[in-house]
Amino acid sequence: MILPGYYEFCCRVKTVSGHRALENIPEALLAMHSRRPMIISDRGVAGAGLISLVTGAMKPKKGGKGVAIGAVYDSVLPDSDIRMVEDIAKIYREKKCDSIIAIGGGSVLDTAKGVNILVSLGGDSLMRYAGAGAVKKKLRPLIAVPTTSGTGSEMTLVAVIADHERRVKLPFTSYFLLPDIAVLDPRMTKTLPPALTASTGMDAMTHACEAYTCLAKNPLSDTTALAAIQLISQNLLKAVKKGDDLESRLALANGSALAGMSFSNSMVGMVHTIGHATGGACGVPHGTCMSILLPYGLEYNLHKTAHLTADLLYPLAGAGVYAATPAKERAVKAIACIRRLNQDLHDSTGGRHARCLREVVDRDGKQMVPKEALPAIARTAMGDGSQFYNPEELDYRDFMMVLEHAWEGTPLDLKKVIRGKKGQKF
Amino acid sequence: MNINNYPEIRPKSKLIKKIYVWVMLFVFGRAFQAASKVDPAAKEEFAKMPADFCFDMCVLPNGPHMIIGKDEKGKIRYMGWDPRGKKITLWMKIKNLDAAILMFTFQESSCVATARDRLIVDGDIPAACGILRLMNLLETLLLPKLLAKLGVKRYPRRTQLSPARKWASRILTYIRIVA
Repeated sequence: MILPGYYEFCCRVKTVSGHRALENIPEALLAMHSRRPMIISDRGVAGAGLISLVTGAMKPKKGGKGVAIGAVYDSVLPDSDIRMVEDIAKIYREKKCDSIIAIGGGSVLDTAKGVNILVSLGGDSLMRYAGAGAVKKKLRPLIAVPTTSGTGSEMTLVAVIADHERRVKLPFTSYFLLPDIAVLDPRMTKTLPPALTASTGMDAMTHACEAYTCLAKNPLSDTTALAAIQLISQNLLKAVKKGDDLESRLALANGSALAGMSFSNSMVGMVHTIGHATGGACGVPHGTCMSILLPYGLEYNLHKTAHLTADLLYPLAGAGVYAATPAKERAVKAIACIRRLNQDLHDSTGGRHARCLREVVDRDGKQMVPKEALPAIARTAMGDGSQFYNPEELDYRDFMMVLEHAWEGTPLDLKKVIRGKKGQKF
Repeated sequence: MNINNYPEIRPKSKLIKKIYVWVMLFVFGRAFQAASKVDPAAKEEFAKMPADFCFDMCVLPNGPHMIIGKDEKGKIRYMGWDPRGKKITLWMKIKNLDAAILMFTFQESSCVATARDRLIVDGDIPAACGILRLMNLLETLLLPKLLAKLGVKRYPRRTQLSPARKWASRILTYIRIVA
């Protein structure tokens, strides 16, 4: 266990987890003196009948106190937008709502956080609250009900909302953006298709692995990261093969929340740096980028973090494999385990889970990352803040080297990695 | 109750530390301006910054500050230590004076300071990435290798920064800081 000279950790999200966790929402709202929540969601979630599932679970029992749904907005776009946030805030005010229930993935939760800023702090423009620490007051009650097990947004203090007119993505960071309650109910992810289950699960795995191996790690984030890796590695393949296995769905939801708690307090490194850039330049889904790039990130940093990557073998492969593997080989074995998991997910999803960037295709079967796009991805990655949490330095040539291997699907040539000083302080 | 038994105690001002950090920020501010004129990598990095770029590195809660920005002609200028009246587009705030001392005595790199929540970035993130790369470059140019290696994750190899360029940029930067 590495104890940094100084660190900060904060996660004050109440977690409500279980097979009938949704039924606890009315009680939780009443405890926060809220009676008229607004539901914010997207078309996909509504189409899958998940909003009805939540509203059905919220019906008051006979003679019990109830809450009334003030409004339902189910048209959040895949990319959160500042104008959309302002429109939803108007509906919230007109319908006299007093809290928010966000049902969906990262985009819905980010949108809900943006709406909560406006309706709690006033004003019509979200711009004045952009940046770090601009939100300085407690906001209205926000309940997050994730419908994927990957982003961990229900545990994070960040919202990223795009201003499409100015073509910029605005980050909002504040401890007041942490939801009040995260509801983890396996029924919400039961209908998630196998390929999406695989990529979002690997997204959560990446959060945990990077939280454990990057510069801002701390004992509290380490503990949650290792627990997350164990839950995900033991249950991801089960959930992909048998989607209605509610036990593995619940375990994945918990793994994702733990990983979110971990990376929200220790940040992430180069896997996210390159992943954000690949998503931005080629539109590749975030989880797909993460699953492909995770082994490369661990390999690139191996000369500095082999002792940390070695620790990952225990939650990834279990006590037997860990004990049977010589200490010096554990880091390499942990990376091999992640590659093996990717291969198993590829096989279990009929090839829809991509193993390398050249395999990523859109709905029409068209290749999404042509090799010619790699320089543009590398240039975009140079402007991503997560690279500074990575143990080893990266410049344009390093990004290109990693991207070329990730595109081909070949392991990194570790002799090509330009190494900084050993014994990096954490 | 005699209220005079409860005197107001003011914290010490840590004057020497404040002066040291002020001097370091002054030198770095001048070095940013100098490197933008003499080093090709610094020129390239600054060229990517927006036209209204104005950067304030400060120590919370009361300074000192270092402000650099682009002038009307697009040239990088050290704009002193007073942020009043300037339209800052990027802040890097060091949480307290002792954290600044750790950074400017090179006991802690800027990346580790960020990782440990001692350095807060507020504003345009790609520009902040450029500034952190420039700070690494300046540490490489201004400091002896032994000291610079403490402040950066990876000291550039000969293939990344040739000795000729390093020494030329180092000498010219120092001349411009002093001149």
